[in-house]
Amino acid sequence: MLDMSTKVDPMTEIRTPKMAAKDVNVFYGDNHAVKGISLDLYRDEVTALIGPSGCGKSTFLRCLNRMNDTVATCRVEGNITLDGDDIYDPKIDVVQLRARVGMVFQKPNPFPKSIYDNIAYGPRIHGLARERADLDEIVATSLEKAGLWNEVKDRLDSPGTALSGGQQQRLCIARAIAVNPEVILMDEPCSALDPIATAKVEALIDELKGRYAIIIVTHSMQQAARISQKTAFFHMGDLVEHGDTTQIFTAPKEERTRDYITGRFG
Amino acid sequence: MSNTRDFEPTDWKSPEMQARTRKRYRRDRTFRAMGFSAVILAGLFLVLLIGRIFQDGAMGFMQTSIDLDVTFSEELLGDPRAMDAEAFEEQVRQANMSRLLDAALTAQFPEVTSRRDRRALIRIISGGAREQLRNMVLETPAIVGTTKTVRLLAADDIDQLRKGKIDANEPEANRKVKDQELGWYNKLVEEDRVSLNFHTRFFTSGDSRDPELAGIWGATVGSAITLVVTLLIAFPVGVLTAIYLEEFAPQNRLTDIIEININNLAAVPSIVFGLLGLAVFLGVMHLPRSAPLVGGLTLALMTLPTIIIAARASIKAVPPSIRDAARGLGASPMQVVFHHVVPLAMPGILTGTIIGMAQALGETAPLLMIGMVAFIVDIPGGFTDAATALPVQIFLWADSPERAFVEKTSAAIMVLLTFLIAMNGLAIWLRQKFERQW
Repeated sequence: MLDMSTKVDPMTEIRTPKMAAKDVNVFYGDNHAVKGISLDLYRDEVTALIGPSGCGKSTFLRCLNRMNDTVATCRVEGNITLDGDDIYDPKIDVVQLRARVGMVFQKPNPFPKSIYDNIAYGPRIHGLARERADLDEIVATSLEKAGLWNEVKDRLDSPGTALSGGQQQRLCIARAIAVNPEVILMDEPCSALDPIATAKVEALIDELKGRYAIIIVTHSMQQAARISQKTAFFHMGDLVEHGDTTQIFTAPKEERTRDYITGRFG
Repeated sequence: MSNTRDFEPTDWKSPEMQARTRKRYRRDRTFRAMGFSAVILAGLFLVLLIGRIFQDGAMGFMQTSIDLDVTFSEELLGDPRAMDAEAFEEQVRQANMSRLLDAALTAQFPEVTSRRDRRALIRIISGGAREQLRNMVLETPAIVGTTKTVRLLAADDIDQLRKGKIDANEPEANRKVKDQELGWYNKLVEEDRVSLNFHTRFFTSGDSRDPELAGIWGATVGSAITLVVTLLIAFPVGVLTAIYLEEFAPQNRLTDIIEININNLAAVPSIVFGLLGLAVFLGVMHLPRSAPLVGGLTLALMTLPTIIIAARASIKAVPPSIRDAARGLGASPMQVVFHHVVPLAMPGILTGTIIGMAQALGETAPLLMIGMVAFIVDIPGGFTDAATALPVQIFLWADSPERAFVEKTSAAIMVLLTFLIAMNGLAIWLRQKFERQW
């Protein structure tokens, strides 16, 4: 089957992955949550991670920007690279890593500050804007990219928490974009949203595709099919199958994948 | 599925069921009634307490004065026009002002002649009257040579008589004010020379052995300095401890033990902190006795657990999603805490701090231990001056034998309660001002 979404440049016929996981194991205390997963993630693709609850997909996602560091009992083994550099190398600055690998969470979590300050926070702490005008520009561009500019441009001073759920989630995406990341991780970004807001966020993800490597965890098979080019199916900590989304959904190679996507378990 | 027995349909209208329902309702009603009575009972006690204090204390803010025609004799005080200012001032300071009083009283009561009676007569005027007259002369030297009607503080017994706390109908033997004094008093009343006025001195002077001269300003300033020390120590140390324990400390047995001990410390009787302060600050560090510095340090020890517990609770209440959001943007652990967690926890931290401060303001026992219970007339001017505090002042006055100190005690309690209410009000205001929604 042909790759339907990415126009492969002849120069980069053999594509180098943006991020690559090799034999990653994650333990929470004695609980072996992610078992020897190897997965390549490319810049111009949306990769969906699907699987039943507790299968380790969120855990794996949080390894990619080391959000698991703060969990005291969590231990990560194996090798994850960003542009070939091991992100678990002690010399890697986790602050910079998280600026390069942004994250959007399951529940919209805007800061209880103004819309402007929500977006401006990241650029401020990383010193990305030298003047107020630069910052204004970053805020406007990020909100435009997130498709929120027209809805909020007149009330940048009102609190981000006063927006609707869907707007809040797009605000969070804009906030992640504002620090100019290379990879965006999304942990079930639509699970707390109604179908209309979900459609908007999905359209946004489609819009952002190509500029950022996007990895999205989702419980909705339809969503994975709609927005992703690659899909990885996790089950009980194993990566059962991964490949082109169309192939996974039309011709899964594994029995377990077929059962899951046809709704037989999960 | 076939071997599971079907339940019989429940008969919700059967007498047993209806009895159950009635019983449930009855229990519900009883519980509500009990809760309501508890609230009423607590309210009654409060009204009783406050009412009693007001009844006693309201008069503490008033003081009886006697108007006397005082002749500021040139002979005694010197002539301000004839001598230079310094010499005049010196003479006024040296002058025996009792002679002015004596003369004024003699003019008022010419019939009193014997030395003994005259000595009794001068005692109906407060001992502070001399100082009052002296200050008048020093302020306006031109007064010398004239005769003015001066409103002088009455002695505490006369004050009590005026306020009806001493019953003139009691037999003389049981009465603090003797018949002779009563006669003088009645004569003064007839001439409309006795008046009851608002007593500003109560708010501006330090302690005194004479109830009519005693004030709470010394104790108020002492309390204020003490609380400043407490706040300066307890707030930063408490908040930093809470932040460290909550956000940075590893979760292990040691931090568990620390946590348990902090909670235990909050329940340690305050006098134990007083003994600790005595042993450490006075015994080991040799800081001055009775000083607000030591009082503040001791109260800081006592307040720390309160602040730490309140601060930890409010830090814990900040949703983890906010931390995730900041961390996900690449905020360092310190940026996460100081840009997001602490500002959001601030209302709770401030409330806890003010509650702790209010507790410290009302604390007596530890201050007794470190010598802040001394009789101190001067208004403290610094951290190491001898001082006392409001609750200790109340304790001291409650212990005094003079009848007139009863109302002073209640009045001081009212002042202390006012401060406490103000602090709690501040806590509520701060909480509402800084509270954010998420």
